[in-house]
Amino acid sequence: MNDVAAVEVHRLVKDFKGPFRGKKVRAVDEVSLRIAPGEVYGLIGPNGSGKSTTMKAVLGLVRPTSGNCTIFGRDSLKVDSRNDVGFLPENPYFYKHLTAAETVKFYGKLCGMRGRELRNRAEEMLELVGLQDARDRRLRGFSKGMLQRIGLAQALVQDPRLVILDEPTAGVDPAGSRQIRDLILNLKSRGITVFLCSHLLEQVQEICDRVGIMHEGALVNEGRLDDLISMHDRTEIVLENASEELLDQIRTLVEVTHDVNLVSEGNPRTTLESLFLKETANKRVRKSQKRLSK
Amino acid sequence: MSNPYKTSFFSPRRVIIIASSTVTQLVRMKVFYFLAPVALLFVGLQFFDNLFYQGPETMVPEQQLRMHKNLCLGTMMFFTSLFAIVFTALIIPSDIEDRTLYTILCKPVPRLDYLAGKLLGVLSVLFIAMLVMDLLLVITLHYRAATVSADLGRYLTAMNFSEIEVARGQAEVARHGPTLLLQYGVLAHFGKACVLAAVALLISTFSTSTLFTIASGFMIWIIGSFQSVARDGIFNAAEYGEAPGLADRILGTLISLIFPDFQLFEAIADASARAQEILLDDMLKLGGLTLLYVGIYTVLSWFVFSDKEF
Repeated sequence: MNDVAAVEVHRLVKDFKGPFRGKKVRAVDEVSLRIAPGEVYGLIGPNGSGKSTTMKAVLGLVRPTSGNCTIFGRDSLKVDSRNDVGFLPENPYFYKHLTAAETVKFYGKLCGMRGRELRNRAEEMLELVGLQDARDRRLRGFSKGMLQRIGLAQALVQDPRLVILDEPTAGVDPAGSRQIRDLILNLKSRGITVFLCSHLLEQVQEICDRVGIMHEGALVNEGRLDDLISMHDRTEIVLENASEELLDQIRTLVEVTHDVNLVSEGNPRTTLESLFLKETANKRVRKSQKRLSK
Repeated sequence: MSNPYKTSFFSPRRVIIIASSTVTQLVRMKVFYFLAPVALLFVGLQFFDNLFYQGPETMVPEQQLRMHKNLCLGTMMFFTSLFAIVFTALIIPSDIEDRTLYTILCKPVPRLDYLAGKLLGVLSVLFIAMLVMDLLLVITLHYRAATVSADLGRYLTAMNFSEIEVARGQAEVARHGPTLLLQYGVLAHFGKACVLAAVALLISTFSTSTLFTIASGFMIWIIGSFQSVARDGIFNAAEYGEAPGLADRILGTLISLIFPDFQLFEAIADASARAQEILLDDMLKLGGLTLLYVGIYTVLSWFVFSDKEF
């Protein structure tokens, strides 16, 4: 059993300086989160909520003002930590002069791979993302969906234990989007940890084990998806062959009525989208109340 | 299972991978197309020389070759310096704009490796371009020297000079032909281009636009070419009865500390064009100076780039 978190963000704060020594802008405010190995974690939030900055801090692309991030126990600012990470940025662009195969090999070489191992791995990755037929085509002529797929191939080339995806289906058509979703599910089945940012809440709901909701730099809610979208103050009873009359008296009758089958009982769910909107709206109301009370 | 690959602080192999990708990038951007007009220019100069050359009786033969060398070396210096600045200025900002840099730096690639790889890639392209231009220069100069030498031989024989004197005259012409001295001049220009590329690399690590990098690179090229004159003017003003003020001295010191001094590069290139003797010591000094400048600017680029956020 491995106790080391795949990603651990501890009280992360990131301030950006304003122009001409202007006021500092706090992009991320005391965010802490933990992603266990093998988990699929989704970070959602409106534009400018600090998701991308959090992701960049995890990747070591920005230096935290305070707090720290680790990847499998290693400080994310250390280059070594990136041996275990594959990253797909939003709307990725690669060297347009390279072919698909050259691109995957280039990133593989950067990870220390070479020779037959590299060639086999590059072919395997192209096959995984369905681009083996376009292996010798330069990226200049690739569609957005194809670029996204080659992005996934390069992210996975060194067989990382953690894959970070920033809006992996942005600008991709529904078929391509489904293909990417299936790829993420495939990674999950192979025990690879996935940390993703997305605006497509339905997709996040479909594939994530846990979700964090960010708003104005803070993590306003976080937890297992099942727990988050359960409505604890209500109970759902699913009946089979129930009549209209029976439904009215169901609470009192269900225990004594023998010809009705109680199929399941649980908490009815809202959608992740409703939860997201509620959380961000609450935060906004709290903020305006605070402002009024001053 | 943990990834078995270890990341060292600096890896020459990774630098070469990034450099070869940069070379491929520049080659596929068809940057070598500029060699076609250069070739035309070098060959065209032959006809231009022939047009104005009326024989040894009107012009000292060496002068004819020196003119050819000056024009060709000047062209080489201009193109390599220009491309050293432009290529380097284009490469890092375009990686940032295209977010290609994200995907590279998110792999186990130390930022020093990335910078060194990019610089080495640009220098390799410049070296190939310089090599091709050098070859063109050697070929055209060889034919020019052969023509001038034959003309001189005919002229001196007709003027009843002895065979020894003819041979001496032709040896003088040969000294102005494609010799090792000429290669020293080419190397001096290449060294200067290396320094300019390293300067452009430093500027591009903090600049937010390609245009700013190119404009600043050109400014430094000009300042570097004339800084020794300015420095002499400031520090040796006492010789002309005017003691330099504190502000002048500070300015002079700052200029010499911040900007590269291209005096030695130009002196060697000039001596090479004139076929004057160049000591091996001077060439070693030139090599050392080039390495020093390139090293300093690369390390400074790394300091700036290592804390850069994307």
